[in-house]
Amino acid sequence: MSFMDFLNFHLVPGIVLGSVYAVGAIGITLVFGILRFAHFAHGDMATLGAFIALALVTAGLTPWTALPIAMAAVAVVAIGVDKLFYDYLKVRPKIMTVMASLGVALMLRAVVQVVFGVDPRTYATGIVRPDDYFGLLLRDRELYTLAAVVLIVVGLTLFLRHSRWGKAMRAMSDNPDLARLSGVDNRKVTMLTWAIVGALCAASGFMLGINNELHSMMGWQVLLPMFAAAILGGVGRVEGAVLGGLIVGIAEELSIFILPAQYKAATAFVLLLLILLVRPRGLLNGKVL
Amino acid sequence: MDLLGLANYAVFMGILIGIYALLALGLNIQWGFTGLFNAGIAGFFAVGAYASAILTSLPASGRLGGYELPLVVGWLAAMAAAAAIAWPIGKVCLRFRSDYLAIATIGIAEIIRLVIRTEGWLTGGVRGVTGVPRPFGDLDYMPSQVAYLAIVATLVLVAYLLVERQVRSPWGRMMRAIRDNELAAAAMGKQVEARRLQAFVFGSALMGLAGALFVHFNRSITPEAIDPMIATFLIWIMLILGGSGNNRGAILGAAVIWIIWSVSELLTDRLPTEIAVQAKYARVFIIGLTLQLVLRFRPEGILPERQPGSPPHR
Amino acid sequence: MALLDMRAVRGGYGDADILHGVSITVGEREIVVIVGPNGAGKSTAMKAVFGLLKVRGGSIVFDGEDITAWAPDRIVQRGICYVPQVDNVFREMTVHENFEMGAFLRRGDLSAAFDRVYGLFPDLKAKRKNLAGDLSGGQRQMVAMGRALMLDPKLLLLDEPTAGLSPKYMEQIFQITRDVRDAGVSILLVEQHAKQALAFCDRGYVLATGANRHEGTGQALLADREVAEMFLGG
Repeated sequence: MSFMDFLNFHLVPGIVLGSVYAVGAIGITLVFGILRFAHFAHGDMATLGAFIALALVTAGLTPWTALPIAMAAVAVVAIGVDKLFYDYLKVRPKIMTVMASLGVALMLRAVVQVVFGVDPRTYATGIVRPDDYFGLLLRDRELYTLAAVVLIVVGLTLFLRHSRWGKAMRAMSDNPDLARLSGVDNRKVTMLTWAIVGALCAASGFMLGINNELHSMMGWQVLLPMFAAAILGGVGRVEGAVLGGLIVGIAEELSIFILPAQYKAATAFVLLLLILLVRPRGLLNGKVL
Repeated sequence: MDLLGLANYAVFMGILIGIYALLALGLNIQWGFTGLFNAGIAGFFAVGAYASAILTSLPASGRLGGYELPLVVGWLAAMAAAAAIAWPIGKVCLRFRSDYLAIATIGIAEIIRLVIRTEGWLTGGVRGVTGVPRPFGDLDYMPSQVAYLAIVATLVLVAYLLVERQVRSPWGRMMRAIRDNELAAAAMGKQVEARRLQAFVFGSALMGLAGALFVHFNRSITPEAIDPMIATFLIWIMLILGGSGNNRGAILGAAVIWIIWSVSELLTDRLPTEIAVQAKYARVFIIGLTLQLVLRFRPEGILPERQPGSPPHR
Repeated sequence: MALLDMRAVRGGYGDADILHGVSITVGEREIVVIVGPNGAGKSTAMKAVFGLLKVRGGSIVFDGEDITAWAPDRIVQRGICYVPQVDNVFREMTVHENFEMGAFLRRGDLSAAFDRVYGLFPDLKAKRKNLAGDLSGGQRQMVAMGRALMLDPKLLLLDEPTAGLSPKYMEQIFQITRDVRDAGVSILLVEQHAKQALAFCDRGYVLATGANRHEGTGQALLADREVAEMFLGG
C-alpha cells in the first residue's frame, strides 16, 4: 500500500471519526468532571440531535444550517432532562444518577424510533466523490466536519479560559466545595453545563450522521468509544478529550490491520481497559472518580 | 382462551419468571449487596446460553458442537464461562467508582454480541445454535413444561437460599458495610477488592446459569434472541422495583415486571400493523419512564432491604 | 462593641451537639486564636460562624447584625471570608484565576483588590500564571488567603493555616496574618500549634469538649500553668 493510500483510506477517515468522537468525549468529560457521574444517555442524546437536524433538512434547510438549530434544541432537551430526571437525585449517591441516565438513554432512543422509525436515513442522497488536493482525497463534508470541530473546540476553550461562567465551571470541576464558598451558584453551573453538553451531543450526532448514515442505534454504538476517549485523555480535561477522541478514532480505523473488520468496535474497549490498568488518570492527568 | 390454554400460558410465564428471577438475584448480589453497577447483564446471560448450548447440542455442520454432553455439564460450563469473563473485568474496574464498571460491562456485552455474530464456527453466526436438548423434552407438551418449571423453580430456590445464607454471614455484613461507606471500604484496602470481585463473579455466574436455563427451554438460540439493552434494563427495573438488597424483592420484581412486560406485548400485538411498530418502541419508552418513577417515588422498592437483626419493615 | 460576638452557641453537623455553649468575641483589628486538644470543637466553632453548622442555641452577631443560621453565601456578602484547612485552592487554576474566583460575587473593577492582594503576597506576583496545585504548601496557603481577601472582608476565618507546614513557612504565615490585620482585617484562626499561635495572637481561647475553658491575652494564657499542662504539653 502506498503512503497516499494509507493517508486517504485509513488516516484521514480515522481523523474525521476521531474528531467526531472528540466532540462527544468533551461532553462526557464535562459531565464527569463537573457533575461527577458517567452520563449514559450521551450517545442517545447525540442520536436525537442527528434526527432533529434530519427533520430540519427534510423541511428544506441545508444540513450545515440545520446544525446550530439542532444544537440549540438538544441543549434545551438536556436542561429539561436534568430538571426532570437527574436533579432530584443529587442528594443520593451519584451512581443512582448513572442509573437514571441509562433509563433516559432508553427513553430518548424510543422517542427517535417512534417518530423517525428504525430504517437508516441520510441527510443527502447520492454518492459524493472526493476532491483531489495534491493526492489527498477529501470530501467537502469531511472538511466542514474538521472545521466545525476546530471551531467548537477553540470556542469552548476560550469560553472556559476567559469567561466568568467558564471559570465557574472549571472551579466547580476542580473543587466544588470551595466554588460554593466562593459564591458560585451550583444550579446555574449545572444548567450551563447541560446546555453546552446538549449542544455538543447534537453536533457529534450530526457529524456522525453526515459522514455515514443515521439510525436509531448510532448514538448508543458510539457511547463506548466516546467514554474511552474521555477516560484516555483524562476525566475533566477538554484537551484530553480531543486527544483521546483522535487516538480512539484513528486506532479504530487502523485496527483492521490486526483485527477482522467486524471487531473495529472492540478497539475502544481494549484501549479503555488498558488505560484503566496502567494510567487511570488518563494521558493528561485528569480525575479518577 | 380456554382453561387449558390459560394454564399453559401460566406455566410458560412461570418458567420465564424463574429465569428472570435468577438474573435479578445475580444482580442483587452485585448491586443490592455490594453496590456494583453491571450494565452488561445480557452479555453474561448470552455467554451462559451459548456455552451450554454448544456443549450439549446435537451435531450441526459449520460450527463447533455436537458433544452432546450431559445437561449438568452444560450448566456448570455456563456459570464458569460467565465467571471467567467477569473476573478480568472486575479485576481492572473494581478499584474505581462503579461508573467505570458500568462502562466496561457495556463494552463487554457489546463485544460478546460481536463475537456471537462473527464467529460462525463457534456460535453458528446469525443462524444460531439449534438442537439444544431439553430435560424431559420427550414428554408431552404440558408435562414437559411443568417438569421444566419444577427444575427452574428448584434452582431459583437453591440460589435464593445460598444467597440468603451468604448475606447473613460475616461476608454479607462486611459487603453491606463496604457498600454503605466508601471511606471505610478504602481503609480496608485489598481485602475489600477481593470481596467485591467475589460478589461480581458469583453474580455473573448466576446470570450465566439463567442463560443456560433459557437456551434449554427454548431449544435454540440466535443473536436476535437477546436485545442487550432491553434485557439488561428489564432486570434492573425488576430489582429496583422489587427492592434492591432484598432477595425476595428481587424475585417479586422479576414476576411483576415480566407479567407487565408480556401482557403489554400481547396488547400491542393486537394493534393494527401501521401502529404496532410504534407501539413496540413506546413500550420501551415506558420501561425507561418506569425506572424514573420508581427511583423518584419508591426508591427502596416494594420490599425494602431488611437490616439483619432489626425487625422487618411493616 | 466587638466585631464578632458569638454567645453560648450550641450545635453540630447532625443531630448530636458538638458545641455545648461556646462564646467568642473578636474585636476590630484583632487576631484571635482558638486552641485546644483534638476533638475540642475548634474548627466546628469556626464553621458555626460561617453558617456551615446547625446552630441550636445561642446567637452570633456580626457588625451589629444577627447572622445566626444565615447561609454561607449571604455571610460572604456581609463581610466574612473563610479559608478551609484542606482543599482550599483551585489546584487546576492559576494563582490569578484563584483570586478571580475569590471575587466571583463582586462585579466591576477588581484592580484595587488585586493590587492589595499582590501587595500582601509579593511572591505570588511572579507566579500569577502558575497553577495553584504546582506551588509549595506555604505558597498555596497564601493563595488560599488571597482568594478569601479578594472580597475585602472585615473578618477572615482561618482553619489551621499552618497545618503540615515547615517552621519557616509557619512563621511566614503568621507574619502575613499580622500584615493582613494591619491592613484592617480582623482574624479568627484555629491553630494546632498552640504555643506559637498564642505567642503571636492578640487574644486566645482554649476550648475543651465543645465549651470554653480559658480565655485571655496570648501572653496570659501562655503563662497560665493549667493551660500549659493540659493543652500545650508542658
